[in-house]
Amino acid sequence: MDLSQYLEIFIDETKEHLQSLNDQVLIMEQDPDNVDTVNEIFRAAHSLKGMAGTMGFKRMQRLTHDLENVFSEIRNGKMSVTPDIVDIVFKCLDALEGYLANIQESADEGTEDNEEIIHLLNDVLNGMDESGNRPEAKTETTEPEEKPEQAEAAVSDEDKRKFLTLPIADFEKNAMKEALENGMNVYGVTVYIQETCILKAARAFLVFKGIEPLGEVIKSEPSVQDIEDERFDFDFSMFIISEKPLEQIQKVISNVSEIKEVYIEAFSPDQGKTDTKKEAAKEETVAESKQENPKEALSTETKKTTAEAKKKPVVNRSVRVDIEKLDDLMNLVSELIIAKNGLVSASENEEHAQTTQFNEQIEYLERITTNLHESVMKVRMVPIESVVNRFPRMIRDLSKKLNKEMELIMTGEETELDRTVIDEIGDPLMHMLRNAADHGLESTLDRIRVGKPQVGTIRLNAYQDGNNVTIEVSDDGAGINVEKVKASAIQKGNITEEQAEMMSDKEAIDLLFQPAFSTAEKVSDISGRGVGLDVVKSKIEGLGGDVEVNSVLGEGTTFIVRLPLTLAIIQALMVEIQNEKYAIPLNSIVTLEDIPCTDVKLVQNKEVINLRGTVIPLVRLDEILDFEPREEEPENLIVVIVKKGDKQAGLVIDNLIGQQEIVIKPLGKYIYIHKMFSGATILGDGDVALIIDANTLV
Amino acid sequence: MAEVEHIDEIKQYIVAKLGNEQYGIDIAYVDNIVRMQKITRVPKTQPYFLGVINLRGEIIPVMSMRRKLDLEDKEVSNATRIIIIKPEQNALLGLLVDEVREVVTLTEEDVEKVTYENGREDTNFYVTGIGKYKDTLISLINVNGIISD
Repeated sequence: MDLSQYLEIFIDETKEHLQSLNDQVLIMEQDPDNVDTVNEIFRAAHSLKGMAGTMGFKRMQRLTHDLENVFSEIRNGKMSVTPDIVDIVFKCLDALEGYLANIQESADEGTEDNEEIIHLLNDVLNGMDESGNRPEAKTETTEPEEKPEQAEAAVSDEDKRKFLTLPIADFEKNAMKEALENGMNVYGVTVYIQETCILKAARAFLVFKGIEPLGEVIKSEPSVQDIEDERFDFDFSMFIISEKPLEQIQKVISNVSEIKEVYIEAFSPDQGKTDTKKEAAKEETVAESKQENPKEALSTETKKTTAEAKKKPVVNRSVRVDIEKLDDLMNLVSELIIAKNGLVSASENEEHAQTTQFNEQIEYLERITTNLHESVMKVRMVPIESVVNRFPRMIRDLSKKLNKEMELIMTGEETELDRTVIDEIGDPLMHMLRNAADHGLESTLDRIRVGKPQVGTIRLNAYQDGNNVTIEVSDDGAGINVEKVKASAIQKGNITEEQAEMMSDKEAIDLLFQPAFSTAEKVSDISGRGVGLDVVKSKIEGLGGDVEVNSVLGEGTTFIVRLPLTLAIIQALMVEIQNEKYAIPLNSIVTLEDIPCTDVKLVQNKEVINLRGTVIPLVRLDEILDFEPREEEPENLIVVIVKKGDKQAGLVIDNLIGQQEIVIKPLGKYIYIHKMFSGATILGDGDVALIIDANTLV
Repeated sequence: MAEVEHIDEIKQYIVAKLGNEQYGIDIAYVDNIVRMQKITRVPKTQPYFLGVINLRGEIIPVMSMRRKLDLEDKEVSNATRIIIIKPEQNALLGLLVDEVREVVTLTEEDVEKVTYENGREDTNFYVTGIGKYKDTLISLINVNGIISD
């Protein structure tokens, strides 16, 4: 049986379930008496088991089975939540994540049996129950929502043969009559799938596939499309035209696993609801063989009510799309924008094209391409929740390991970022959180001594800020001791003592981002202070963002990460320096200023301007870009004021060309690119212009 | 299998001129040959890189073969060409040459391997061998050598 097409769904759903288990167990740890949480955990564990079983991942199934047993006992109040149990449960979840990782990689769960964890789980169960009752036996009888069998039996077979009540259109009636005349059989079928079945659509699909060679399905309710999309409850009905005998079809259907019951009988188009003489075949053998699924016996009443409630699809309709396809689409949009820019510049150059209509059409095209770009971008946006939701668990583990009390407060998880950024941002964030937990926060004793709340607080706050997304990781710990950082840097030979004297606090803190810099007095296995911050920085810069640190001694440290919303297409200001064109990303520009040369002052031999009370250093782009010095200075300087965090700088340019939407392209391999360039773009006339990363000049 | 070995012995080279000297580039690496076009200077890069060009929407760095081989710069003429090569890393690179002459076929006997004693620093590192074609000599360019630094 080929289940590969369901593998992706399985992986996604397993991830969701594991995440929700992690979240809920954390809640349970805080509030062990919360019945809702325990129920939620039980449901998630149960679904996991069912899914793993369906997909044939036996080891995973076994582990979740034992996990489920433990939760079942907790739910029934036969066991209370202790820190030991929580620890074991987390171990178990980690092992399950291990299985999932294997499955994701090779579609196989691997060979790790995790005997130890299973053993621990069973110890927990046995410790609570000395009488030696097998835990498996228990789960089957301890289902509170499990209605007695009689309730089911009370519902007559008649009601279960739902096909009898199906509306039949005229053409369908005719088809049936014709088939009967030709000596074929018409069967009405209603199939019930077990309520525990996770991949209903897969089961239904197998039923249809089994019938296909035997006959023709002329009608199904719900429609085949709805069944494929899983928009049905636990039963579906259909009419089949077939030459084969009834028993054969029934056998094929009931051979599909997780099918609870099959009702099949010969059907004549004139048949009314009153005709009950026909033999109804009840298929129970399958149901019997599936006793290990304890939840299967939901009453029909419940089924009916849920059936009505579930008529309309609850979730938004969505399609899973391969990220590569989106990349292709994005590339096409980029090409389109380049072509549009070409048209715009052609219309500016050639006089004969200057008719109003032509310009109108170009403006129209411009609007469409911009909207198209935005829509494609939006499709690629993912809330950062998918990255940060594993952090509460991590902080909990760290708290135990470091023996410090701490809590993580996250806000703005719904902030969206481009998928490519999301994939890369997890590790740097994790690193910063670990740093905050390990080195930012003082030990609980120290905190009490200085009169801070005993429980340390780590905050993760994300928000959108114009074309950027800002993520702040802060702690209310001791802050960075600048003198210690300097001393360590001197000791390592990174800086000299004279340099240390001259350094501002900010510059000293930036030392933390230098490769292999650590001020850790005691390097733990979680992180040495500063170790890896260089990796964090380079990773974030690789994504076109930057990272900044604010620290107040005694009050705490904040890491501020700024990331661009999109990677591929940006708004930029096109400028001219001598005869070359350059692009400056708009998001780093504050203002444009016209400064008389006489206003330029020298401070410590560096050119600065005083702009409305702020002293801003000037950067002569022509010098930095290795141009020949100009023979005479113009009277006025055109200065682009750019910012990085709260620092500003003024870039001196020769000419403004204007604002333009540009597509960032890599500069190709082999060639060395100074870090002041973040890429290049193709202009409307086909020329290439380099993009100046203003952040590196501030 | 004899046929395969036979093919291995024969290689085709694009012959380019720098001044009076002829250089051969294994045709397997050559993607395209284009006329001189506007090259955008890239400040602060290696001196032998002239800059980047736009080739059908892709940005490609262009290297001056003259500078790479320590020859004097020469004015761009009508014959100047950019040979677009695709080394094994699969990213394109342009090589600016004075002129592209022809395609020649050389067998293994026509090629004399160059051995290096002075190590990598020698400009000879960029040449894998000398090919004899009719009564001229062709220096065969080591494509992976010129991109490796």
